[in-house]
Amino acid sequence: MLDQLEALRQKAVADLEASGDTAALNAWNATYLGRQDGALTAILRGLKDVPGDQRKIVGQRANAIKVELEELLAARRSALAAGELARALQAERIDVTLPGRAEPRGGLHPITQTIRDICAVFAEMGFHTVEGPEVETDYYNFQALNIPADHPARDMQDTFWIVPGQLLLRTQTSPNQIRIMEQTRPPVRAVVPGKVYRNEATDATHEAMFHQIEGLLIDKTTTMRDLRGCLERFAHAIFDPASKVRFRPSYFPFTEPSAEVDVTCIVCRGAGCRVCKYSGWVEIGGSGMVHPQVLRNVNYDPAVYRGFAFGIGVERIAMMRYGINEIRLFSQNDLRFLSQF
Amino acid sequence: MKVPYHWLKEYVATDLEPQALANKLTMAGLEVDHVATRWPKIVTAQIVYLEPVKGSNHLNATRVTTGQGDERSVVCGAPNIKLGDVVPLALPGAVVQAEGGETFTIGVAKKMGIRSEGMLCSPRELGLSSDHQGIYILPTDTPLNMPWEEVVIELDIKAHRGDLFGIYSIAREVAAFANVPLQAPPLAVPELGPTPVAELARVTVADAALCPRFTARVIQDVQIGPSPLWLVLRLAAAGVRAINNVVDITNYVMLELGQPLHAFDYDRVADHHLIVRRAKPGEQLTTLDGQPRTLDPDMMLVCDASGPLSIAGVMGGATSEVADTTTNILLEAATWHPANIRRTSGKLGLRSEASSRFEKGLDPNLAQQGVDRAARLLVELAGGTVAPGIIDVYPQPVQPRTLRFTTHDVEWLLGYAVTPSEAAHALTALEFGVVLDGEGEGMTVTVPTWRGDVQEGADLVEEVARVLGYDRITGTLPSGPLPEPQLASWFARQERVRDIMAGAGLREIVTYPLTSRAALLNILHDQSNVAPLLLGAVDLSAPAVDGNGAGLAEQTASDGAKGKKAKKAPAVATAAATPNLPALAPDQLPVVVLTNPLSSKHETLRLTLLVSLLETLGENARQGAPSARLFEVGRRYVPTPGMATGAELPHERRSLGVILYGRTGDEWLETARDLDFFDLKGIAEKLLRTLHVAGARYTPTHHPTFHPGRCALIELPVSAEPDAPTRPAGILGEIHPAVAARFDLTRRAYALELDLERLFAAAPEHYHVQPNARYPALTRDLAVVVRRDVPASDVAAAIRAAGGALVQSVTLFDLYEGQPIPPDQRSLAFTIVYQAADRTLSDADGDAERAKVVALLRERFGATIRE
Ligand SMILES: [Zn+2]
Repeated sequence: MLDQLEALRQKAVADLEASGDTAALNAWNATYLGRQDGALTAILRGLKDVPGDQRKIVGQRANAIKVELEELLAARRSALAAGELARALQAERIDVTLPGRAEPRGGLHPITQTIRDICAVFAEMGFHTVEGPEVETDYYNFQALNIPADHPARDMQDTFWIVPGQLLLRTQTSPNQIRIMEQTRPPVRAVVPGKVYRNEATDATHEAMFHQIEGLLIDKTTTMRDLRGCLERFAHAIFDPASKVRFRPSYFPFTEPSAEVDVTCIVCRGAGCRVCKYSGWVEIGGSGMVHPQVLRNVNYDPAVYRGFAFGIGVERIAMMRYGINEIRLFSQNDLRFLSQF
Repeated sequence: MKVPYHWLKEYVATDLEPQALANKLTMAGLEVDHVATRWPKIVTAQIVYLEPVKGSNHLNATRVTTGQGDERSVVCGAPNIKLGDVVPLALPGAVVQAEGGETFTIGVAKKMGIRSEGMLCSPRELGLSSDHQGIYILPTDTPLNMPWEEVVIELDIKAHRGDLFGIYSIAREVAAFANVPLQAPPLAVPELGPTPVAELARVTVADAALCPRFTARVIQDVQIGPSPLWLVLRLAAAGVRAINNVVDITNYVMLELGQPLHAFDYDRVADHHLIVRRAKPGEQLTTLDGQPRTLDPDMMLVCDASGPLSIAGVMGGATSEVADTTTNILLEAATWHPANIRRTSGKLGLRSEASSRFEKGLDPNLAQQGVDRAARLLVELAGGTVAPGIIDVYPQPVQPRTLRFTTHDVEWLLGYAVTPSEAAHALTALEFGVVLDGEGEGMTVTVPTWRGDVQEGADLVEEVARVLGYDRITGTLPSGPLPEPQLASWFARQERVRDIMAGAGLREIVTYPLTSRAALLNILHDQSNVAPLLLGAVDLSAPAVDGNGAGLAEQTASDGAKGKKAKKAPAVATAAATPNLPALAPDQLPVVVLTNPLSSKHETLRLTLLVSLLETLGENARQGAPSARLFEVGRRYVPTPGMATGAELPHERRSLGVILYGRTGDEWLETARDLDFFDLKGIAEKLLRTLHVAGARYTPTHHPTFHPGRCALIELPVSAEPDAPTRPAGILGEIHPAVAARFDLTRRAYALELDLERLFAAAPEHYHVQPNARYPALTRDLAVVVRRDVPASDVAAAIRAAGGALVQSVTLFDLYEGQPIPPDQRSLAFTIVYQAADRTLSDADGDAERAKVVALLRERFGATIRE
């Protein structure tokens, strides 16, 4: 009887291994473990006919085989299911090198990005970002900035007039120095980005409209060293942490002392190249300590308050950052150009 | 200002090479424009052999020597040379000028079989004049082997330093910065004439305010002729053409000292009496350039009894000019009022070397130096005799300014400490007089009379900083207190809009706000009334970027805050974009106009971003772009009543413009489709939702840029308060096909313009959100059949109204027209989500709500429900 059981077990195990799909497993289950006709079930059912001394041994063995076969079936079922899932997934394979669904890709103009980045550097240093009108009065654009009528400094900026002698397109963002100081008391820290206009012939590096960022800091302690420090921080953030800033004496009617601001040429890193005319330096703007007469014009006492102002050309910086040598690309707004940003 | 290197070195013994000197000047604040070498490899040589070339009808074979025992063969085609002539010889490697300013390099060549080792040059080839008739024959006493090569440093002199328009004054700066001695040009005048000047000539100055000083000398028996070569070359290197020795000397002294002079023919001045006065109204003078000039009483003249001789400080007249027959000279060196000279030259459109110096302000003391220096040179170079004495009308001699100054002034601005002796040393190097206080940090500084730009302590600080070197200003970070935090900034708001637009797949453009009236009219298909263009869709009432409201005060600047009352828009089928505005003919277009535009294409400021959007799109379409999604955040410029008198600035309105064109992207997954009105409207809705703007209305409207059936006025609440009335804030629609065709658009385009001031007036600064509901929501779908002309938004609004507070959302999910719906009707299907805060809504609640909605829709629109 035990031999018969063992033979059944071996056949069942072999049959199970040969069963390759769910249907075969179900058939196997019916053959061996089926409640009606299962071979093992039949043996268990026939135990009552087995002599008493053998019944217990055969019964235990038969039950052990039943448990083993059930476990084997379960394992076989799950192995088969995993294989079937794997095959099904395999059949769903796609070509992952096909392009993704086209989302329209928007983006910001390089001038916007450059203004944003520059203003962010100064925002870290506590500068507010404000705006002012593009149509200005002669007073704000010139007179309050220490440029009276009939002053030769007016030649520095050829002007578009709306009402000659009175209304004009601002030639610089500097009128906002006056507007800001008229409206607030120190401490003042502000940057003013915006469009400016010059009535000048245009070429590869000059446009009649371009963008500037004005900076102004007034308090009781700020010196020209602080001006340099702020511009160095700006250069490090915008160009390269190894950038250097150079001051050159210059003349702006509304600053004294005045300085041109040069930064290390980003192309040659100071070694000298065509872009920097082999000087290693590129001019990015003008700066200086706010002229005492300008402070008096807004009723700030120059014996109490001091500070600096600067003006940075945005296009020049964008051209350096993106390796562009043609300023008109910015205003042409050709999608072939813009989509690169 | 062109500074010839060797000329400069006559006054200052620097051993700096030209490029090193240029760098030094740059770092001293004298900006170097460029450094150029003139006449390399040009020398003077003499013709020692001359024979016609056989077989040529014009070439000569010559041999020339530079007097060093050398001879070289040069073939020359010029007709005017002869044996013994001293001429300029261009050696191989020399660069000379061809016609039209082009240059070429001389090499060794063979002409008709004869070797030619250089070229004999005409004045034009050397850039001295336009004369190309023949070789430049030099005076026979010109030294041979004289090298012509000169390095010219061109400086960009700043407007405050009128004193630097003389080579000697540049030398003064070099002496200070290179720490080398300065050598003044000789000024002593040999006054050997028989008659004192006072008996020979008179000067009357009628307006001393405009002519602070007038000096004059008389030089007799001059011989007019060509200047020596060195003088010709110096003038040419400095950019001035030689004319004759007398004129050349006045120009030379102007270039050397910065003092313009004028030489009159003494014998052609009536009564030998110069009268300095204002012009009479309408008085005429023909200036040296042959132009008749009409003068006005703000202009100063130098006259004689018979009339004007020259426009003071600007340009001389033809009548009293030095000519070949002149023998006696009346030499003028005066000082004029700078602003007056600038006005005169501006009004006449006449800038001269003289006027550009006088307008920057010259030291009156320079006048006498100039007249003396020129008189001395007229003796040396023109054989003249100077009459003893000088005429000098100088009623109020200038006194040097003295300033109190301390080292504290330096530290206050520069941020580093200097000792009194350091400061004094720096100032003294620039010829400031310094008297140190016995003790302490103070000093009294006497400002040289030529330094009119130095008015106060800050100016002296810059001088000290220049001499000590700007490199000494090392960087530190500001340590002062920060300003109050910025509450709301227009910069940040616009950045927000840009980010939303870029996130919606739009590409930003930044355009030129300058346009033209023609370009503005070009975006209207019907130009009979241009009023809609003036205001776009917006009834503009208050400026936001106005002169007085900008700057930091913009924190609070928004129309809403300014309390402008907006009328509740009437609920009509079509809303006017510009209510209360009369129709305007095209020639009445009010627009901000430039008086001096660069071109007729850029003569006005734009009234609408639509013109920029369409032009940019058109340009891209012409470049082959099949589709585009563009936006711009920019300003429109609307005239104001007070603008014409300069009393009021125009309104600058911050605006958003969007334009869509073409198709969605072609891809392998889906077929592309045309972009349409609802793509555009979806972008507008995304913007409003992101900014939490509620209560927007889209009303059909007419605008001559747009398709009459596909254009909506965007109306926004005047504030973020609940139930605030609405007002026009923007427009969107399909571009009219007639307009699209003008921009070569082959597909439909859709554009939007939205006033950002009004947008943000409707956007809450802060908002609250709701917790997630504790009870499930109830969702019901409802299909309504209404007449086609019933706006879908009205139906949705009615559904909301019927449901009251329980309505969470009403979403259109289907629109159907066609069988079995009657032809004049359509079916709109909505998903309605109901939500109660305090309970789970039952099916019975849903049925009750549905009944309320159905009843209201029946009553309001005669709707039927599609089961
Ligand atoms: Zn470089």
